[in-house]
Amino acid sequence: MKRKYMKALSVLAALSLTISLTACGGKNSDNSASSGNSGGASDGTKKIQIKVYAQHFDEDTAKPFDYAVEELKKEMPNVEIVLDEAVQDGYQKLKTYAATGNMPDIYETDWTTLQTFAKSKNVELLDSYPETADFKSKLNTGLESRLTAPDGHVYAFPYTGIEFQLIYYNKDIFQKAGIQTPIKTIDQLADAAKKLSAAGYTPMAIFAKEKWITTAFYAGLVTREDAKGFGDLEAGKPAALPTAFVTAAEQMKKLQEGGLFDANATNTNYDQASSQFYSGKAAMFVNGQWEIYSSTEKLGDKVDWMYWPAKDEATYDSSKGFINGAGSPGGFSVSPSSKNKETAVKVASFLAQKYSEYKYSVLGSPIVSVKVDKPMTGEVPPMMKRIADEVLPNVKSYATAVSNVQIKNVIDDNTQNMLVSGFTVKQFTDNVNRILAKENK
Amino acid sequence: MNRYLSNKKAIALFLLPALLIYSVIIIYPVLQTVYRSFFNWDGLSTATWNGISNYRDLLEDPLLITSLRNGLLFALVLAVFQIGLGTVLALACADPRIKGRKLLKTSYFIPVVLSVTVVCQLWIAMYDPANGLINRLFNLLHIPYQQNWLTSPTVSIIAIAFVNAWQFMGYQFSLLYAGVKSIPEQYMEAATIDGCSKWMAHRKVTIPLMKETYKFCLIVAITSGIGAFVQMLIMTSGGPGTSNYTLTYMIYRYAFMESNYGYACAVSVVLVSLSLLATVIINKTFDRNEA
Repeated sequence: MKRKYMKALSVLAALSLTISLTACGGKNSDNSASSGNSGGASDGTKKIQIKVYAQHFDEDTAKPFDYAVEELKKEMPNVEIVLDEAVQDGYQKLKTYAATGNMPDIYETDWTTLQTFAKSKNVELLDSYPETADFKSKLNTGLESRLTAPDGHVYAFPYTGIEFQLIYYNKDIFQKAGIQTPIKTIDQLADAAKKLSAAGYTPMAIFAKEKWITTAFYAGLVTREDAKGFGDLEAGKPAALPTAFVTAAEQMKKLQEGGLFDANATNTNYDQASSQFYSGKAAMFVNGQWEIYSSTEKLGDKVDWMYWPAKDEATYDSSKGFINGAGSPGGFSVSPSSKNKETAVKVASFLAQKYSEYKYSVLGSPIVSVKVDKPMTGEVPPMMKRIADEVLPNVKSYATAVSNVQIKNVIDDNTQNMLVSGFTVKQFTDNVNRILAKENK
Repeated sequence: MNRYLSNKKAIALFLLPALLIYSVIIIYPVLQTVYRSFFNWDGLSTATWNGISNYRDLLEDPLLITSLRNGLLFALVLAVFQIGLGTVLALACADPRIKGRKLLKTSYFIPVVLSVTVVCQLWIAMYDPANGLINRLFNLLHIPYQQNWLTSPTVSIIAIAFVNAWQFMGYQFSLLYAGVKSIPEQYMEAATIDGCSKWMAHRKVTIPLMKETYKFCLIVAITSGIGAFVQMLIMTSGGPGTSNYTLTYMIYRYAFMESNYGYACAVSVVLVSLSLLATVIINKTFDRNEA
């Protein structure tokens, strides 16, 4: 009996040991890459390792990062950057880091996540750092909302300016279909959609499987009616959608019913929508100004962008300077748990500035956060030149962002619904109003 | 007695590791979920007591109605298609007159072992309104019906449910086939001698004797339907709007998109409760009929 008992105990002990060993083996070996003093510089001094969680998956994201890191080596040779490549997962990986107390020294995230991190003390307040004052002095005009949050704090160093959405169009297709440009009104755009459909083209390709793009489309229409854009849904605490928003919803519905969008739009992803546009099947495409590089590469001088149409020509002319992009905080943030916080703040500010430098001087993008004293060396696409010459000098105001997640989500859901036949403006307003009434109590 | 007790101890000791693991990975998280559902918690900050507010808000949440409706619809499609067709195929494969039964059985099970992502992508292509196989097939057969399978708020949930039903029908088939094969052949022979047709014999003998198998298959279909998620995520991202939301999609949204973990825990509790309720009802119904 005793033997049996001992056998059972032996099995138990073996099992426990196995489990504990497995658990040890399963520990994240990445920890070795987290900040700390390790490795040595060539002169024998110890290097400070700074772990950076940043996007680094294509040319647009990898090149500016690599450039910034190379510049950092000259400026701070005692700092070594350990890259932790960000994944496009809605910042879940980053939130998991935060939940497990394993935050990288520097990370890149959006305003929604920053708000959660601010509440849980996972983001360093940068307000009183000398680097922040320096950054502010270099900030391009009108970009205060990119650096300073609505609550008055600084959470991140941004590297882009306020980005906005454009309607791209294929000039050749427009010419073939006999469509006059510029299109100034909603009616003209609806009419163009009919002509393009009749000619066998998809009038506008839109990757509406992603809800943000339908929201961006709606924002383009809203900003023509209300310069402040979505921010007014929060700032003024309306219990129901203001007239400008209802008008924009009616316009969006009119365009949908006029056949501007493909029937499968809400199940079309970016690759499908962009390939429709680049292959000449679609006459228009909607995306941010960052699409300029790809579209120039794919369509050359056949492609151009147009301003958002308005209810009439007078509104079109008077509201040209109201930009639909909304500035919200974002960029490189610093973790309060960083072992080298002071250095991390310096590095975050430096990286953001060098990102801007690369985007401005090499890519020719004027939409950067800070003033760059280097000349543009790269070839600037004509569409970007138009933005630099026509748009930016004439900006009257930028839209303001909505911080409330519930309001943001209900707009996302229902702008996507607007692309579906049978979904009415009344349903749109009822759905959004229900949330507004609840959140703006 | 002593020996019995020491055996019990040994048994307990053998069971202990598994029980410990089960407690850590199942029981503790379940209890935590219930506990957290009474808090306002973003997953990172300190949770604040919220009482039953999360549940009260949930009752007023229009997404709950959408999700419940979709879940039930999904479950209905799974139950009818998988169990109905599964039964027909199981009976056919048990019939010695059918040639190539081994091949058929294998082919029914192939979709089950395929990756859900691959299957979903395949059906996305087939459901494409302009170039998809299904609309083209209707055209070819001169059936005047063209549908936006995945962008129609009403049709898309059924279309997605069908994909799930098609993929996992083989699993239900294998259960039903085992059920059919477990019935002694003498019963069927007796029924045939008594003058029953093949169909009548199945209706009067085979199907009633498979009650336990049906009970399990129905529980699987209903709980899978209520908790469906992956297919919606891949095929339509829950859209257009929120028309393809289920309870699991709600949990995903509130937890991972809105960082509202307390509320997501409340939805989880509702989901588990509904699954348990469905299981109890099915069990009771079948057991009552047994009596």
